[in-house]
Amino acid sequence: MDEKSIGFRERLRRITLKILKATIKATLLYGVYFVLSMFLAPISDAVPGFQQMVETFVTVYLFLMILGEIASGTVFQHFFGAVKALFVILYLIFSLNGGVITLYFQGAQLMVDIRLFLMVAILLSLLGFAKSVLQAISFLNEKAQVESLKF
Amino acid sequence: MISIATTFLWLFLITFCVSVAYSIKDVQFNFEEPNVSVTKSNELLFSSSTSILNKGYYNIDSFNLTTKVLDRESFTLACQSTFVPVIEKNKKTIVNHTVTVNFNDLLQNSQDYLFNDTELKLYMIVGMKLADVIPVQVSTNLSLPWGAPLYNFTIGKIRYGVDNATSVKATIPISFENHAPFDLNGTVKIKIYNNNDVFLGDGETSIEAPQGSSYQDYVEVSVKNAETISDSGRLEVYIQTSLFSYGPMVISYG
Repeated sequence: MDEKSIGFRERLRRITLKILKATIKATLLYGVYFVLSMFLAPISDAVPGFQQMVETFVTVYLFLMILGEIASGTVFQHFFGAVKALFVILYLIFSLNGGVITLYFQGAQLMVDIRLFLMVAILLSLLGFAKSVLQAISFLNEKAQVESLKF
Repeated sequence: MISIATTFLWLFLITFCVSVAYSIKDVQFNFEEPNVSVTKSNELLFSSSTSILNKGYYNIDSFNLTTKVLDRESFTLACQSTFVPVIEKNKKTIVNHTVTVNFNDLLQNSQDYLFNDTELKLYMIVGMKLADVIPVQVSTNLSLPWGAPLYNFTIGKIRYGVDNATSVKATIPISFENHAPFDLNGTVKIKIYNNNDVFLGDGETSIEAPQGSSYQDYVEVSVKNAETISDSGRLEVYIQTSLFSYGPMVISYG
């Protein structure tokens, strides 16, 4: 009874800590987004749908980040990390139209080639993806070692 | 360690992109209306001046302004580019861009440019590299009003009078308005043929029509054999100026 009570408190403390950590991280990230959005306001005025695109990205990213934080200490933390990295890659590719953005305004066509930016962003995301996969393998490996030591 | 490195790289990448985007906002482009004039080599010169005030954080590299002049059928008459290697930050740069068009090339596809006010198509492409790494291209179609040099070219009714004992003098009134952005100096030559296609005679007159003026004069033709004159027939009109040569323009009379 007493052991169970301590176990429950410990679990509650851990979950509270995880939620707190996730909240702080999400708040910080949202703060960065909030500051950046002020700088991006002129672009949002000029490019229709830009604000919505960034908001969708930030929402999904924050959601996956919070899930990853809550699932920390389990293999799902790394799973969500990998999903987050893949989401960033795919979202950037699709939303940036493969790196060549074409806009039309006042009878003029504006073409911006940001393939270099996209390439660097994809490489960074791939690094994050690889890290998550390796961490998941390491996590499962450690868990398997602990299990084998029990026997 | 990797997490810290990637976080820093992400921050750098995002900050760089935001600063570039923010920087574009502070670049002011001022395109002036293109002017049309005539060069010494008798070609049409389209010139425009563009001032660029770069108040952004980065230099603008490889600024390239290309203009294509197209006729109504979208046939390229001329294409010229102006290249500026660097537009430094916090500096104002003026780019003078010119395109020359041979008037005869313009007439090759349509003589409409001689007689009717119309418009020329301009296709402008502005290319540049922002912060050394982001290529940007802006393209637009513009139309430039074109005033015909021989607008409303009209041949009046031919009047015949006695020249001397053996010949008859035909007086052919001509009139037009010069709407073109240049003065028109040259000659008009007219050949008369009767309804049996027999050549009756020819005459020539010089024309001087400053831009925006109306021109009215007549061409005198001496017809040697008065018996060959008929009520109807055709005129062949040849126009020769320093800018273009045109003819024969066949006009029926009678």
